[in-house]
Amino acid sequence: MKRSLVLCAAALLLIASAVYTFGDIARPKTSPTPQPGKIVFHTGLTVATDPKAYEARLQISEETLKRLREVTANTTANPSMTQRIMQSSTRTMMAGLFMFLAISFAGVWLARSSQRRNHKIAAGIVLGVLMLSAAAVIVRANAGPPGSFRWRNLPENLSKGQATIGGLDIEIVPGDSGMKLIMPLKSEKKPGEE
Amino acid sequence: MERAANIPLAAWPVARPSDRTRVPARLFAAVLVASACLSAALASWLPLQVSIVTVFLFAGPHNWFELRYFLMRLPARFGRSRNFFAVAFAGIGVLTLGYLALPALYYTNLWSGENWPVAIATWNTLLLLWLAALVILRGKQNSRRDWSWALPAAFGLCAVNWLVPDLFSLAIVYLHPLVALWFLDRHLRRTRSEWLATYRRCLILLPLLIVGMLWQLSGTISLADDNGLAWRITQHAGGQLLPNVSTHLLVSMHVFLEMLHYGVWIIALPLIGATGAIWSTKTIPLARRRGGFPKVIAAILIGSLFIVAVLWMGFSFNYAATRDIYFAVAMAHVLAEAPFLLRMI
Repeated sequence: MKRSLVLCAAALLLIASAVYTFGDIARPKTSPTPQPGKIVFHTGLTVATDPKAYEARLQISEETLKRLREVTANTTANPSMTQRIMQSSTRTMMAGLFMFLAISFAGVWLARSSQRRNHKIAAGIVLGVLMLSAAAVIVRANAGPPGSFRWRNLPENLSKGQATIGGLDIEIVPGDSGMKLIMPLKSEKKPGEE
Repeated sequence: MERAANIPLAAWPVARPSDRTRVPARLFAAVLVASACLSAALASWLPLQVSIVTVFLFAGPHNWFELRYFLMRLPARFGRSRNFFAVAFAGIGVLTLGYLALPALYYTNLWSGENWPVAIATWNTLLLLWLAALVILRGKQNSRRDWSWALPAAFGLCAVNWLVPDLFSLAIVYLHPLVALWFLDRHLRRTRSEWLATYRRCLILLPLLIVGMLWQLSGTISLADDNGLAWRITQHAGGQLLPNVSTHLLVSMHVFLEMLHYGVWIIALPLIGATGAIWSTKTIPLARRRGGFPKVIAAILIGSLFIVAVLWMGFSFNYAATRDIYFAVAMAHVLAEAPFLLRMI
């Protein structure tokens, strides 16, 4: 018992000393990072060529425009749940801490509990979590190829004058730089080749 | 003696409890079903108007009935429950003051709006830990109970709360009205056990009505919240937190649950005698016991009636502001329900 107390005290002292170790290190300079964009919704895009056209055209269906207006109206007021969670590291840390405490205390309760009913409840919860995990694996397994797969033949199709159809995320970015279409194509050049 | 023996026994009704209460139980079920269906229909039809009227009429009186009920359930001497009630009252006081302080700090610019979710999450955490403490203390009063599961459950809920504090608070708004149904269940078990099975069968109607409302109202256009009062009501129901859900559905659902809540406290529980004769203080242990405080209890009840009248006046003069103040202060009664419900389990 005494030995355990001494060990615990030593460990606490070691942890506390870390504060002084880092206390003299200058705070890292924070470089201004560009504000990340925000994907507001997913739609489809067809890239087609028109030999008679003099100017590039972006055609947007009325329904898509309507949806775009709706989502941009709510852009600042309603960030998605994931974004709301990701915006606050304090909340994420606290959630993690409480999750840790919940699992730890649940384990202690289960170990100390002599009732078979409690064991059955715990087994039920574990089974439920396992089933949800298995279901998640199945969902992922049927998720299909990534969106970039549909765009892989875009250069060839453009040269042939054929249309290419694939998915598109509408992303709102800060600034006034017009529109930018980013295609998920990988460069076929080998490393070092220019 | 001979004549008595010749009396045909078959002609005498057997005074069994089930026979005595068969008709009232059916009547009770009919009233429950009719009330629930009428509440759902009214809430779905005119959500904003019904919300305004029900809060105006019933918010104050239902709090008075709850106060009356809590006084009746408060033991004359705490005895072994001293720690339980000490934690309960301390929690009600601290959490209510904390809840009232949050908007006050916000409006006086002492608290940044960006930190609002952290403040809400902190308050919710304190609430959950207080509830866990009450459950554990209550569990310790009976050696056959092992309620230590409350702590991991509370920590798990705390984790969810820190991820989505605003949605967690909204869940409390929607779940609180259902607590009244639990109170009714416990009282029926004690006082009208013959009605309990009927009542529980009637409860099956509740999820059916909720699913029906979801089905009917999920595709409706959101309510026009162009004035301050309508905006407050839609916000209270979670209009901003659930932007993809029609506010017509949210407000209707909230009003429906609130109507059930008011119905239980103002009609159902007094009718089955849970609150005793409302004009008499003899059913309140603190007033009845030797050396008790009958005058203090009477003064509290009369003073509370006066507050109900003031609330009605406030609603008449400035409904929106009074509604805001009411729902902030009413957190005390939400908290007070927890220890008294635990005492009945």
